[in-house]
Amino acid sequence: MKPFAFARPADAAEAVATVATEPRAVFLAGGTNLVDHLKLGVARPDLVVDVRRLTSREITDTADGGLRIGAAVTNSELAADRRVRERYPVLAQALLAGATGQLRNLATTGGNPLQRTRCVYFQDVSTPCNKREPGSGCSAVGGYTRYHAILGTSAALPDPTAPETCIATHPSDMAVALAVLDAQVQVLGPAGARTIPFAELHRLPGDDPSRDTVLEHGELITAIDLPPLPAGARSAYRKVRDRASYAFALVSVAAVVADGEVRLALGGVAHKPWRASRAEEALRGGPVADDAVRHAMDVELTTAQPQPGVDGGNGFKIPLVTRTVVATVRDLTQETQA
Amino acid sequence: MSAPARTPAGAPGHLTGPAGGGIGTDAQRPDGTLKVRGEFAYGSDLWMEDMLWGVTLRSPHPYARIRSIDVGPALAVPGVHAVLTSDDVPGAKAYGLELADQPVLAVDVVRYQGEPVALVAADHPETARAAAARIVVDYEVWEPVTDAIAALGHPRWNAVHEDDAEVTELSRESAHLHPEGNLVRHLKVRTGDPSPTADVVVVNTYEVGMQDQAFLGPESGLAVPAEDGGVELYVATQWLHVDQRQICSALGLPPEQVRLTLAGVGGAFGGREDLSMHVHACLLALRTGRPVKMSYNREESFFGHVHRHPATMRYEHGATRDGDLVYVKAEIYFDGGAYASSTPAVVGNGGTMGIGPYVVPNVHVDCYGAYTNNPPCGAMRGFGSVQTAFAYESQMDALAAALGMDPVELRCRNAMEQGSTAITGQVIDSPAPVVELLRRLEAMPMPDAAPDDLRHMPGGVSNTTHGEGVRRGVGYAVSYKNVAFSEGFDDYSTARVRLEVVGGEPVATVHTAAAEVGQGLVTVEQQIARTELGVDRVVVHPKDTQVGSAGSTSASRQTYVTGGAVKAACEAVRGQVLARAAELTGRPVGELRLFDGAVVGEGLELPLAEVLGDDAVEETLEWRHRPTEAIDPETGQGFAHVQYAFSAHRAVVDVDTELGLVKVVEMACTQDVGKAINPQAVIGQIQGGTAQGLGLAVMEEILIRDGKVQNPSFTDYLIPTILDMPPMRIEVLEYADPHAPYGLRGVGEAPNISSGPAVLAAIRQATGLPLTRVPVRPEHLTGT
Repeated sequence: MKPFAFARPADAAEAVATVATEPRAVFLAGGTNLVDHLKLGVARPDLVVDVRRLTSREITDTADGGLRIGAAVTNSELAADRRVRERYPVLAQALLAGATGQLRNLATTGGNPLQRTRCVYFQDVSTPCNKREPGSGCSAVGGYTRYHAILGTSAALPDPTAPETCIATHPSDMAVALAVLDAQVQVLGPAGARTIPFAELHRLPGDDPSRDTVLEHGELITAIDLPPLPAGARSAYRKVRDRASYAFALVSVAAVVADGEVRLALGGVAHKPWRASRAEEALRGGPVADDAVRHAMDVELTTAQPQPGVDGGNGFKIPLVTRTVVATVRDLTQETQA
Repeated sequence: MSAPARTPAGAPGHLTGPAGGGIGTDAQRPDGTLKVRGEFAYGSDLWMEDMLWGVTLRSPHPYARIRSIDVGPALAVPGVHAVLTSDDVPGAKAYGLELADQPVLAVDVVRYQGEPVALVAADHPETARAAAARIVVDYEVWEPVTDAIAALGHPRWNAVHEDDAEVTELSRESAHLHPEGNLVRHLKVRTGDPSPTADVVVVNTYEVGMQDQAFLGPESGLAVPAEDGGVELYVATQWLHVDQRQICSALGLPPEQVRLTLAGVGGAFGGREDLSMHVHACLLALRTGRPVKMSYNREESFFGHVHRHPATMRYEHGATRDGDLVYVKAEIYFDGGAYASSTPAVVGNGGTMGIGPYVVPNVHVDCYGAYTNNPPCGAMRGFGSVQTAFAYESQMDALAAALGMDPVELRCRNAMEQGSTAITGQVIDSPAPVVELLRRLEAMPMPDAAPDDLRHMPGGVSNTTHGEGVRRGVGYAVSYKNVAFSEGFDDYSTARVRLEVVGGEPVATVHTAAAEVGQGLVTVEQQIARTELGVDRVVVHPKDTQVGSAGSTSASRQTYVTGGAVKAACEAVRGQVLARAAELTGRPVGELRLFDGAVVGEGLELPLAEVLGDDAVEETLEWRHRPTEAIDPETGQGFAHVQYAFSAHRAVVDVDTELGLVKVVEMACTQDVGKAINPQAVIGQIQGGTAQGLGLAVMEEILIRDGKVQNPSFTDYLIPTILDMPPMRIEVLEYADPHAPYGLRGVGEAPNISSGPAVLAAIRQATGLPLTRVPVRPEHLTGT
């Protein structure tokens, strides 16, 4: 582990100012991801700024009937909140499908969406990785790809040596639920506060895979707002993984069904929580039967690019995510009709 | 040169344990309380105030020539005390369990990714790591050989090893390493008609992926230089004396100057049979004159020990229309990776156990172990047999389907029993209750038809399956495994037992070098001493090389062999004590026995304190099981194995056929253990072995690309959690083996062998898919 300085500012504004003035500074919240990366040499900051006590640890009702979740609220607290469980079951389910009890006790609302990919090559500092070392290439192409993307990758047929190549996925379960809930992210930065729609927080790799989000250096998430769902809305999160617990998603689905409208977000398939807008569009106004959902997913996945790999590649994700969506929507629709 | 050897913190102490509990009881473990309270010191807890930290620089390439190594930049780092390469190895440059073919530090060529190239000792682990990164190694990278069959097909062109490997006295059998080829061993079994024909024939090819032992305590050790120019090594390992011999050879020191003590072991499963940092830590300690600790992290651990051989197997089974097996032909390829490790013995087991516990008149088996540039593979629980069981049990199911027979019926019809002849020509001369094991499984009640709780469905707590597309399957499998070392190996253990009176109470001390790796051998040692000496208090001496070899903690052999040695040493002590008592009382020895801390006879109860006074009675004995013999190299015939273990599993699974998720609903197991020395520990072995077999069936695999490991972490190498492992029904049978101490049979491996094939059979029944490769993953079940 590379030595670093440690700072514990008095408030959020001072934390933001401290990080903003030091190019190789990072925020420390729950530390469940950063500390691993410090040990692995993936993160090599000069300064670690502790914000664990600087943002709110409260969940408050908002005037529009939604909730504001302080950035320091832990995953465990959020999943256990009665209002979240009643009004946003998709979020509670997603949280509980992630990590372990011990990790959820430390992981925070502000930190979880900012966790970095679990791509093995990103975490292995001895291999090229455009996300870790821009321009070095991508070791994942043709490698161990079962946890890798099929949507929104940087090129149709990725070139492992190209500087923009990245087929990593975003690992957070919580973020998939926040994407389907149209959450809003409250951010404090050197230039003041701003609000970012959650769907716009994360980036696709584009020409710079090293950047996971649109946040500027020094910007700190202070809270996440959940707008109210329509009356009678149903929501759920389903996750498919290689074992019953303690594993990242092969694919996951966050779905909301309300007034015949279906909202879908997918996990484990892209560099960001993937809002399936094309599928939503295809379903708008029509019947929500299995066939229609399947067709909508076909539309969504027309641009899907399965990756070859050492254990047969990840093409299996295409039918897998479709079937998971169909089953999830079927359940929610039956609930609303019952 | 250095300070006298001192005892580090974290070195093992005497285990005094709870009092009471002879053989056949659920005696408590003497290390149990320490472990559950977090007070047990593992190898990684070893500590000395003035110690240095050793780290290993490993090859990033699976196959390359080393043009040059420049250690200068590393030596220049402040805090660095030594940087060593192969030039600094004073003795033999290579070591190995069976063939001395593995360099202590790479010499000119690296043959697998992760091969140790250089060592650094520094005053802080981060300093040592940073310095190691500054060593400049100039590699000429070569194309790796990554396919075992291809490696054998082109022996000259692909020659990974250019020189003869020396066959050491450690070899378990007379394996040949072909001088310029990649063949480690080719075992042949030939019985009966070489060209048999049958009414019904099934032919299939099977593959088993590379499994890791996944023990939780990574490799750790501490070497302390001694005043006599020698070294004390505290290390978590499986066989102290085989380590000692290899270390002595590399250091050029005699055994009396290389003293080993077993540090706390956090699991082994075969992964600690080969050396890891043993020689490295000693080299650094001797060079610096300071204690040196080495402790791998999880990632390095994946490169620091051997794995289970991946296997490719083609099987042909022929039977009559009535279901009598006529012949089996098998070709079995084990990928041994870059160095031999235990490959010869794995080939031996794989070949001689290769058709399962069935009686077949005509057998033709070719079993090969090959060198490649993949990670070295060696010992892992059930070795050789785990892989072949997937194939032969799948074949029995395929044959049953072809015959329209019930799979259990077909197995019972062809099962071996006591008096049957195995394919090695050996007559099975102890109970072989294969039919009873299967029939008892069949008779067990089935779990409830459909779970009413989502958490019990495939995908479990992930809220994944709500019952749509879920199908149930049931599968059976039987295992068959040789216990202890085979093929003429001189397999023995040494025990020193002392009986004395301390503070008025008789105390026995048992001293063996047998590695306790978590299985509970220390408990068994206490139980045997209590039973044989009639005392409650038994102290287990730390395991070290101050007593003779106990052999390896592997091959399900320690309760049998070290248990036998402890029993024999106790009997010798008892003989002495009773002789004294006879002298004191004038009674004939034959009328006296030891019971409850006293010598008793009719109308006599003489406390041991009165017999022994201040004397201690001590005996040290070597004990051997019946000798085995090498098999004929052309026919595979011979008295190869001393004992067999048998277990059977029934697996019940629910499969979500849409999402490819498997929920193992229940595992049932029957096993004959001869005599359960500690029934609770037997249950633990069966449960643990079952979980490890289930893991290989549905999730565990080290994935290799071009010779490089792709998933060296517990994030990406998945092992079953408690949510993946179902409740078990277990029936333990105790049919005594008349040749073994107390009639016992080795327990640890058999359940690891039959569990995975049973799970696979159940998934196959649920899905109707052929499934010829394990592990089975979601994408193999979704029909896509």
